[in-house]
Amino acid sequence: MEDNSVITPWEVTGDIDYDRLVERFGTTRLTPELLERMEEHTGQLHFMLRRGVFYSHRDLDRVLDSYEENGRFVLYTGRGPSGPVHLGHLVPWMFTKHLQDKFGSKLLFQFTDDERMLLREDMDDGVTGHWVYQNALDLMALGFDPDNTEFIVNTRHIDKLYPIALKIARRVTCSTVRAVFGFREEANTGIMFFPSIQSAPCFLESEREGEPVPCLIPAGIDQDPYWRITRDVALKLGYPKPAQIHGRMLPGLMGDAKMSSSLPSTAIYMTDVPDLVEKKIQYVETSGVPDCCPIFLYRYLLLEESDDDVNSVYNSCKTKCISCEECKRGLTRIVNKFLACHQRRRELIKGSVRKMLE
Amino acid sequence: MTEEPKKNMEVTPWTVSGDIDYDKLMVQFGVQGMTDEIADKLAKHAGFKHLQLRRGVYLSHRDTDWWIKEYEKGNKVGLYTGRGPSGNVHLGHLLPWFFCKYLQDAFDADLYFQMTDDEKFLHRDDLTLEQAVAFTYENALDVIACGLNPEKTHIFSDADHIQHLYKLGLKVAKRITFSTVRAVFGFKNSDNIGAIWHPALQMMVCFLESEREGMNIPCLIPAAIDQDPYWRITRDIAEKMGYYKPAQIHAKFLPGLAEGGKMSASQPDTAIFTTDPPKVAGKKVMRAYTGGRDTVEEQRELGGRPEVCNVYAYYYFLFEHDDQKLVERELSCKAGEILCGDCKKDLATRIEVFLTDFQEKREAARDVLDQFIIKPVE
Repeated sequence: MEDNSVITPWEVTGDIDYDRLVERFGTTRLTPELLERMEEHTGQLHFMLRRGVFYSHRDLDRVLDSYEENGRFVLYTGRGPSGPVHLGHLVPWMFTKHLQDKFGSKLLFQFTDDERMLLREDMDDGVTGHWVYQNALDLMALGFDPDNTEFIVNTRHIDKLYPIALKIARRVTCSTVRAVFGFREEANTGIMFFPSIQSAPCFLESEREGEPVPCLIPAGIDQDPYWRITRDVALKLGYPKPAQIHGRMLPGLMGDAKMSSSLPSTAIYMTDVPDLVEKKIQYVETSGVPDCCPIFLYRYLLLEESDDDVNSVYNSCKTKCISCEECKRGLTRIVNKFLACHQRRRELIKGSVRKMLE
Repeated sequence: MTEEPKKNMEVTPWTVSGDIDYDKLMVQFGVQGMTDEIADKLAKHAGFKHLQLRRGVYLSHRDTDWWIKEYEKGNKVGLYTGRGPSGNVHLGHLLPWFFCKYLQDAFDADLYFQMTDDEKFLHRDDLTLEQAVAFTYENALDVIACGLNPEKTHIFSDADHIQHLYKLGLKVAKRITFSTVRAVFGFKNSDNIGAIWHPALQMMVCFLESEREGMNIPCLIPAAIDQDPYWRITRDIAEKMGYYKPAQIHAKFLPGLAEGGKMSASQPDTAIFTTDPPKVAGKKVMRAYTGGRDTVEEQRELGGRPEVCNVYAYYYFLFEHDDQKLVERELSCKAGEILCGDCKKDLATRIEVFLTDFQEKREAARDVLDQFIIKPVE
């Protein structure tokens, strides 16, 4: 079968064969042994691990080794603040929150407002500043520990990153970033340097502590290329290679491979009102095949913690005991309930998020 | 007599070698020749004509006349220069800094002084970032010792003060493509991505004062002509970004104590460092390349050649302030009346006196360093 999927950190199209991606990127599947090890630390496995939402990794075993020895590692993820947060963003974030809860790890969260400014004509710091705050609310509404979460807004906190970024940049050639990210001759010189800024937080805690602190990055598997470069330079610079745990992407409403902010009709935003959610879900084209139906996958990948419930929906669909209409109504209820809670929490934490961003 | 073939001239921001043909450079870089009118106007505002203006150190410019006119209209004007801190400062480096002080006083201008320690680190595998940053602060002492005004001088390290530079740097970088820096600076795919980024950070300083003050302020860059490619591309994007094009006034290179090229810190024996013990500097002078002849007899008969003599160049650019005496020295050299040994001895004494004084100022600068470092905008 022809593999027509295009996966780069900026573009995810086509039908994704997640099994094949593991081979293509050269990552490692999570093994039952590794999952068992996780379970020893977390208690019952998180549903995203049970269901293979997070299914691939690099060096997770080493992170656990180090955790078992020294009791610590740092989590790192981030976001380009150019628009509202949607359900797709929540897959890695909710999983990250779970890891913070269970391992007591500090989270470094990078807002790549500099990258947005470099890539988008219409983005100046006023615009990105607005989205930094809005996105930070959505993140913290998931329940991250404010005392154990550090925001790095690149344009504001560049002094923390720049010295490390320079050390990385000196080891990375233009050929490498061009090969990995597909930059052309017309690429601007800021964006060619940017991968070193995005890589820098991987080493920030090690730099601060003066000793190796492993870093684990939970993210969609489409983000893997960034970390390949970082991993290559890590050892040369005397830092531990950043480890990753890779997740599947939440599909878009139109059956797109990835829910995307740049296509508003494909996404359910955290601030959507119930009527809009209902409408958006209504218009989803379903196929009667749950494995590739967005309606089912939203429950499976993100919203339905109970395996029994998710299995029952799956089986009812397979046996045609439930109509797509009925299933959509069910999802609408779940999403709206979820969003209502989220929006309430979002209001409550405004003061503390402002303080975190100061 | 046939002329010796010229060594191939190479002038880029990183390499200056061979015999420098300034006329050719001016054509190659597309800049305007310096005029008496501009030199006189600078002198008028300063109250005296600087030695470097009298001696033709500044041989070309872009829009310096415009920059002066803006000042004459009553507008604020600014200055920008900088240094790549990868080692100690030598006398050649001081030339534009002395001139900056002259302009700062004359035009009541703020000077933004960039220490491109990040660039030095990115271009040199043998240098750690910490070493480059340490040189920033050591070299800043030399800058301060040139007599700059602490209230109007803003020295910054790219690595340490990036928070003052980054946003504007991004705006510039967004407008500079990979293909542009390849064409202008000769970067290759095998170069590192930091080196590719850095030109934007050097260019953004042209707009830094305007950005910090919230109004457009004409910026003049006194620097050696090898830095010109940066300003050429900066000028291309300035107006689109809503800023004035930066003006430049270009200096010649100070010849080293060895033949050809500019004085270079990477060839320690060719340069006199501001931190050399005065006696050591004096000894270097005594070993200098001169325009003298092989034997005393020949020298008496044929005369020396000040035009190719590095010792003469020191008198010319730095150590003989009296134009009349300079001419006398040149003539008596050409007539074979003074020998190189005497001429060197005289220079060595002057350099020793200069260094003794400069080093005192340099040490005193440690106590006031902080006043010269860039501060956040209030």
